[in-house]
Amino acid sequence: MTGIYLVGAFITGGLLFFNRNRLLNYLLVIAFLLLQSGFTVYEYLHIHTTDLNYFTADALAVLLLATLTIISIPAMYHSYIFIEKNNNTARERGIYFAAMVVLLTAISAAYLSNHIAVTWVFVELTTLSASALIYHRRNNRSLEGTWKYVFVCAISITLIFIGILFLSFTLQQAGTDDLSFSVLMRKAPQLNLFWLRLAFIFIFTGFTAKLGLVPMYTAGIDAKDKAPSPAGALLSSVLMNMGFVGIFRFYIVIAYSPIFSWVNHVIMIAAVLSIFVAAVYMTKVKNIKRMFAYSSIEHMGIVMTGVAAGGVGYYAAILHIILHAFVKSGFFFQMGQIYRIYKSKSIYDVGNYFKYNLTGSIVILLGFFFVTAMPPSGLFVSEFMIFRSLFEADYWPVLIFIMLLLTVIIWALGKNIFKLLFSPAVDFTEEGVENIHPAESVSQFVLLALVVYLGLNPPPQFITLIQEAVKNLPH
Amino acid sequence: MTNVLLIIFTITLLYLGIAHRLLTYVKILAFQGVILFGIAFLELIQINAVNLAFVLLETIVFKAIAIPLFLNYVMKRNRIARDAEPFLPNFISLIIITLIIIVTFILANAIAGSGISKIYFVVAVSTLFTGLYLIVTRHKIITHVMGYLVIENGVFILSLAVGNSMPMLVNLGILLDVFASVFLLGIFVNRIGDVLKDVDVDQLKNLKD
Amino acid sequence: MISCIFILFVSLFFTGIVNRTKSIASGRKGPGILQPVKDVIRLFRKGSVYSRTTSVIFQVAPSIYFTSVIMAILIVPFGHYKGVISFAGDFVFFAYVLGTGKFFSIISALDTGSSFEGMGASREALFSMFAEPAFFILMGSLALLTGHTSFQEIFSSMHFGSSISYVLGALATFVLVMLTMVENSRMPIDDPKTHLELTMVHEVMILDNSGFDLGMILYTTNLKFAMYGALIANLFMGSFPPYLTIPIFLCIQFLFAIAVGILESFTARFRMNHNAQYILALSSFSLLIFLGVLLVLGQFN
Repeated sequence: MTGIYLVGAFITGGLLFFNRNRLLNYLLVIAFLLLQSGFTVYEYLHIHTTDLNYFTADALAVLLLATLTIISIPAMYHSYIFIEKNNNTARERGIYFAAMVVLLTAISAAYLSNHIAVTWVFVELTTLSASALIYHRRNNRSLEGTWKYVFVCAISITLIFIGILFLSFTLQQAGTDDLSFSVLMRKAPQLNLFWLRLAFIFIFTGFTAKLGLVPMYTAGIDAKDKAPSPAGALLSSVLMNMGFVGIFRFYIVIAYSPIFSWVNHVIMIAAVLSIFVAAVYMTKVKNIKRMFAYSSIEHMGIVMTGVAAGGVGYYAAILHIILHAFVKSGFFFQMGQIYRIYKSKSIYDVGNYFKYNLTGSIVILLGFFFVTAMPPSGLFVSEFMIFRSLFEADYWPVLIFIMLLLTVIIWALGKNIFKLLFSPAVDFTEEGVENIHPAESVSQFVLLALVVYLGLNPPPQFITLIQEAVKNLPH
Repeated sequence: MTNVLLIIFTITLLYLGIAHRLLTYVKILAFQGVILFGIAFLELIQINAVNLAFVLLETIVFKAIAIPLFLNYVMKRNRIARDAEPFLPNFISLIIITLIIIVTFILANAIAGSGISKIYFVVAVSTLFTGLYLIVTRHKIITHVMGYLVIENGVFILSLAVGNSMPMLVNLGILLDVFASVFLLGIFVNRIGDVLKDVDVDQLKNLKD
Repeated sequence: MISCIFILFVSLFFTGIVNRTKSIASGRKGPGILQPVKDVIRLFRKGSVYSRTTSVIFQVAPSIYFTSVIMAILIVPFGHYKGVISFAGDFVFFAYVLGTGKFFSIISALDTGSSFEGMGASREALFSMFAEPAFFILMGSLALLTGHTSFQEIFSSMHFGSSISYVLGALATFVLVMLTMVENSRMPIDDPKTHLELTMVHEVMILDNSGFDLGMILYTTNLKFAMYGALIANLFMGSFPPYLTIPIFLCIQFLFAIAVGILESFTARFRMNHNAQYILALSSFSLLIFLGVLLVLGQFN
């Protein structure tokens, strides 16, 4: 079935790229969404089976695949609105939708792969498709953003490859040449420590470009800023989850080797630095989309802190990335409407949003409460569990420091969002303001409702899946 | 014999440190491609013939011929000035690259006789760091791409060290090469030349907080 | 003793062959091979003019320069035969005796009080400073490889076994050739033909010498060429039986002279501030030789 999915998706992408007819375009997109949803259901029903020797639907993959499918439906819907309002040529529309399809397929395949080199190939593919999306507007600034994204991601991909090479050196000594995660897990206690350390450093640094941690987070900020909002939503939710999957699967492998505590220290340092960087930049950023991008960095930092702390932190980390994906994509979808009203992304030019778009501003208000992890948001549950895991692992000073930084972030985010919602805009004329239909905000309400539901009253299958995903880690 | 080629490869790294003109960079990259062809030919005798032919073809066609020709074309089309403007004078670059090689050599002694021959490790890692250094200390965008190509050569050497037992990794390395060249060079450096009149990294400073 | 005789013999012809090669490469017929010797003899018969601003140093320096090179020649071995002076660590003595000569030529240039010559003296000092690590690292690596510290013992026990030692030999030859060009201030470091520009290194230092002193300095240049050529020939002579060494020595010197001529004809002089980094590159090359030797030893231990 994986083979059928991949072939079908690539054919759809190819057809979208060459097609110039509007109706056929949207039919192909709907066909792809049906294929994606069908594939997700199939993988859920056939959990723990291996397809094509390289794709295993384990619990983590199924969870994230479901997240991706749920987010891809509003993403395509908002892309449809975006393309309609933007007066693009048929060729640009074709490229945009083809790139979206390829991006979603590559991310799904990366979730499912059980071999480190196959993951790497699909991560490369996401760079390609994401940069086609970022360059959609074809002006100077988006070219600059695309160039920076491509270059930093190319270097990160090379770093991951070097890490894989170092890993293969140790495997040669341990007598095998199979790089799949299950074999790595079995052989982990026997691998040469020096090479394993080097491999971890390179792979971790490479994946931070996708995940959004120090040191390679810079590419993602410009990318999410310059990409069209629906694409930006995908980049800051499911793409970051792909980075997480890459690091997490390797982390499980390392968990059985003697360098486990050293690895935890490294991850903790990177995560705390990321939250620090996010806090510093949030206080001075003036572009709303960049602000959301830095908020993603902060959340990924919190997630990796949970992973490094261990215990209940593993469960909380996975819960957090799923919920964060929903909230952040909701924000980016709403951003499209904000841009259509104010024609600007700067915080100085926006204001009084309640007056121009009532439903949209309620989304923003609720989203703000949810993303800063206030109850009844599900993020409150996951962050609370992460703090508890830090406390239980004796990371007192780190916890206090993170809480201080989060306070700063809440202040910065709140200051900007309340300005957007309540203060009057400077130099903004009300004539020609677009009237946005409330139905466009329905998708975001659904996503936010999912966050509350999954956080406060999750269905038992959901809990079982997450517990299965972390069962391989030492508790 | 591969040791000889690897030492010559290290000499090209030193030469990269003191080169002034962009054309010299391109010629050094082509020469490195030829050396890698020789090393691949001598090293990978145990993998099957089709794979070997593919690897050799890629090295000689891509690294030694196609990419230098394309870089030339890009430089002519965008009328890029001939000088590779460095931030640090070439004198200091030479000292730093020599230091990189020495430090890598000392680091290689920490590998207690395991799996990989030391000379491959030293050459590959010093190429890597030299490529990173070139990216960081040069003004022009095209030298960033050239630094990236140097990094790729280093990764290729590293993959040749295990090439006999895991030929798939060499193929993946080639895939990386093709991806980077087609993508970075083919699409973006061309477009960048069209949009930014002066291909200088200073032009890329508009996106910031 | 035999090496001394041969080097003196070769020095008579060396510069002549270089000039002849350069002329033929430019399409001319050129002066005879013994022309530089005739120039030196002509200068020996002339009287010297000493400026009133100079002191004893200016009168003494050319002789010291000449003597230092003669002493250095006494150390150079000839295949399996020792030089006249040979002891453990004599290559250090070799370098520093040459350094003494260079020091005296530098201070005699400063002694004239001309800023022009002072400029040449400072450049000469800078380039020699950068070339010195190259020589020492090279000789040190060869000493490490063979386990001896005297010139003769190093060269006689060098044999080219594995391919990596061939590369080391080739690199060592390249470094020595370039060192020759640096020490004698030839292309691509300095142009011996330019006497009237602010671009000279060695030629400008000897502007004020005349007569017998100038003759000695010119002949010393020839001697230095032949001496370095002998060093290069020694790299290869260690692996051949004694009756072949003399033809090989002469052959290598001849080839070296032609190579110098070709190098001079076909390269342009570097920009002055590129010279420093080029000479430092030589030191880095010899560092590579050192690392290569470490690698060889590590594998053969």
